[in-house]
Amino acid sequence: MLKPFRTFKGGYRFKNYAGQPAPVLIEADIPKQVVVPLRQGFSSEVKATVKAGDAVFAGQIIGRDDESISSPVHSPVNGIVENIKRMNYFKRDINMVLIRTTNSSREITRLPGYASEWWKLSNEKIEELIYLSGVSSLDREGIPTRFKSSIVQPADVNHLIIHGVGSEPYNISLDLLLEGKNFLNFFEGIKILKRLMPNSKVHLALNARKPKLIEQFVKLTSQIEWLDIYPLEPKYPQGYDEILVPTILHQKFPYGYSAANIGIVVLNIQAVLGVYKAVAEGLPLIERIIAFCGPAMKENIHLKVRTGTLLGDLFYGKLKGERPPRVVLNSLLTGVLMNDFSLPIDRSFTQIIAIEENNKREFLSFMRPGLRRDSYTRTFLSKLFPNIKKIADTNQHGEERPCITCNFCEEICPVGIIPHLLSKYVKKGFIDETIMNYGIFNCIECGLCSFVCPSKIPLVKYMKAGHEKLIMQGCDQAQCILPYFNLKGLEEYRGVTKL
Amino acid sequence: MKLIKDVLGNLNGVIQKNKFLAKFKPVLNAMDEFFFGTSRVTSLPYILDYIDIKRFMSFVVIALIPATLAAIYFWGLHILAMIIVSYAFGGMVEVAFAITRKKEIHEGFLVTGLIFPLILPPATPLWVVAVGVVFGVLFGKEVFGGTGRNIFNPAIVGRVFLTIAFPKIMTLNWPLPSIGVGADAITGATPLALFKSQSIVNSYSNLLFGFCSGSAGETFRIGLIAGGIFLILTRIIDWRIPLAALSTIFVFPHLSNHFFHTTFAPGLFQILSGGVLLGAFFMATDPVTAPFTKSGRWIGGIFLGVLTVLIRGLSGYVEGLVFSILLLNACTPLIDTLVLKVRYRRK
Ligand code: SF4
Ligand code: SF4
Repeated sequence: MLKPFRTFKGGYRFKNYAGQPAPVLIEADIPKQVVVPLRQGFSSEVKATVKAGDAVFAGQIIGRDDESISSPVHSPVNGIVENIKRMNYFKRDINMVLIRTTNSSREITRLPGYASEWWKLSNEKIEELIYLSGVSSLDREGIPTRFKSSIVQPADVNHLIIHGVGSEPYNISLDLLLEGKNFLNFFEGIKILKRLMPNSKVHLALNARKPKLIEQFVKLTSQIEWLDIYPLEPKYPQGYDEILVPTILHQKFPYGYSAANIGIVVLNIQAVLGVYKAVAEGLPLIERIIAFCGPAMKENIHLKVRTGTLLGDLFYGKLKGERPPRVVLNSLLTGVLMNDFSLPIDRSFTQIIAIEENNKREFLSFMRPGLRRDSYTRTFLSKLFPNIKKIADTNQHGEERPCITCNFCEEICPVGIIPHLLSKYVKKGFIDETIMNYGIFNCIECGLCSFVCPSKIPLVKYMKAGHEKLIMQGCDQAQCILPYFNLKGLEEYRGVTKL
Repeated sequence: MKLIKDVLGNLNGVIQKNKFLAKFKPVLNAMDEFFFGTSRVTSLPYILDYIDIKRFMSFVVIALIPATLAAIYFWGLHILAMIIVSYAFGGMVEVAFAITRKKEIHEGFLVTGLIFPLILPPATPLWVVAVGVVFGVLFGKEVFGGTGRNIFNPAIVGRVFLTIAFPKIMTLNWPLPSIGVGADAITGATPLALFKSQSIVNSYSNLLFGFCSGSAGETFRIGLIAGGIFLILTRIIDWRIPLAALSTIFVFPHLSNHFFHTTFAPGLFQILSGGVLLGAFFMATDPVTAPFTKSGRWIGGIFLGVLTVLIRGLSGYVEGLVFSILLLNACTPLIDTLVLKVRYRRK
């Protein structure tokens, strides 16, 4: 059923940035060598089941651990294991399996027991397929199965939220993901998930700027009463669990905990497609569609790549300019910096954004009317001509100044706290119950407050620092959350570190 | 552009060699940043909004341009001289403090320096402007620690100081604009003073277009309204304070005028006379000194309106706005604290 449009307070619509990925999909070559991290997505690190010298085939499980909350990891290519070593991967030391490709055929060995008529399979078999394919580790909290892939059991799930809102400045193309038969596959994927989580209501949130897509879905699902469709404005950070849950369900979110703790599973479109592929086609998760976006990329397209491909191989010849641009994973506001091109990609990647490193100075920059600039205030002409493409770069665009309490940061904060007030407390070292009371634990570190501040105050840094110091002093979010919520899976949660 | 860069570069070299001159580094930095912006790059988040404080403040200045030009047109080049004096002397205080504190020069002064002459009587002698602005910037801002920490709006502090220190100059010098005033307007008293002494209500169109006496920048009211709306639309100022203040000033005297029509002028007249528009749009909304909470802004606006009307009607002063803004500034921390207390009450 189509639900009326709804939105949340605060947030910011990043409009029309130059370098959005075109809805074109290109299949990348099979890499000559891969490095497979043994911890990908929502999972603890798994134990390697192969050793150096072993021959492996594409789709073979090379790491699994049935004791901890985890999902298996596969070899993305046919080849020989060269080495297993501990490496630093996004600020964490984990074991990586190095594989040299021997046969670059595209063939992927399927999982045993899949069936294109999936409804004939038993629930257990379906869950097993999802688990063995590794799809169960996708997104913030994974997909619950009986194989300890998430912190809740499938039967405990009350709501399943699937979203393709695309609220970041750069987004993977929704049209591309749901192109052709993928559209129906996606729908089948939803049905599979519904069957696994019989007690859940399914909520499908789509970008309200894609009316055609929404219409198609409404037509397709008009007979189904367990599925609701929500057109949502692509306003950052709408795609965050913390914002989706209150917007869609009108329910408070236990900030600092996860949606799974209140029996809600939030999934992306790629995860649902992965479920279909695993169950109906038996494909393990070793390929991922990644959007290459940003003005510093030569081409803005989507690539289908094998996990474990090294960034250096992927980027070879793809970046503009003599100076290396800044390459960021998934989000320009919160993403991880990818400056080490010897690292591999894994299944949690969605988009890779490259923007120019701009430390050039501009003559009388503050007087320029700015057709191609973006701002929360409407002090640039770009607000009058929203169709002109805007440029994202890394210049700070102004000097640091004291806070003038312009309140931009409060107006834009999606969780309704007052960043400038909290940052002043943190800066002065007044770390106590007061800031907890003012809701510092609600901060989802979305980065918007730092983005809008005309005084260029690194507010998010203060929020993070305050958060950490409070916890060091023995106050933690439990005090604000536990008395008001009945959280599930808290025990299981220990041990799995957050992504 | 190249030339400026070279000059700045050379100056920088000279300054670094000389110990005494090195103190003036903030001045050079400020000029450098003014012309060329920054070369610093972001960390997390990787992109930052293009707005900065310079642009923020320059938009207030842009919004004041119509009123400023009108003032120069009405009262001649003396106004221009007043503005220059105000910028020069206020700027000197700012620079002196930046140098002694070894801090950067901040942009807040861009607005103060312009607003201050605009709220003075058009015939104010230049030395009075200089004294006022120095006092205002010094005691309104620098003693609190500079831009962002001040409790009071520096322009208002300067103005109140002048009113108290030089009452003669500040209350008797009300020349009429050089144009647009008919032969029947012989008196130099402001519309508010006329109402107070003789209950005369000036015509609204004269008030709107500025064909009446008053402070330099407050009479061209069409321009002020346009500027205020411009600022609200660009989100530089919040709409709550002007709306709350203006509607209070309209409604509250409307009621009281009903009962005592010689004490309280009718609502529309109250809005269109004196510095209400200038104050409500440009001074009460100064982000640093106004309440920052939303409900605080409503409360502050209403508070401002009520006080203004009361002072105008019941006290010996003709104009109440300046004092009301000063009082509002003083109450701002209190209002914000109370609002926060209520909002974050322990449940
Ligand atoms: S946006 Fe920056 S200057 Fe404005 S209130 Fe927040 S911290 Fe202060
Ligand atoms: S305070 Fe936290 S939640 Fe609010 S805007 Fe800043 S980073 Fe986002």
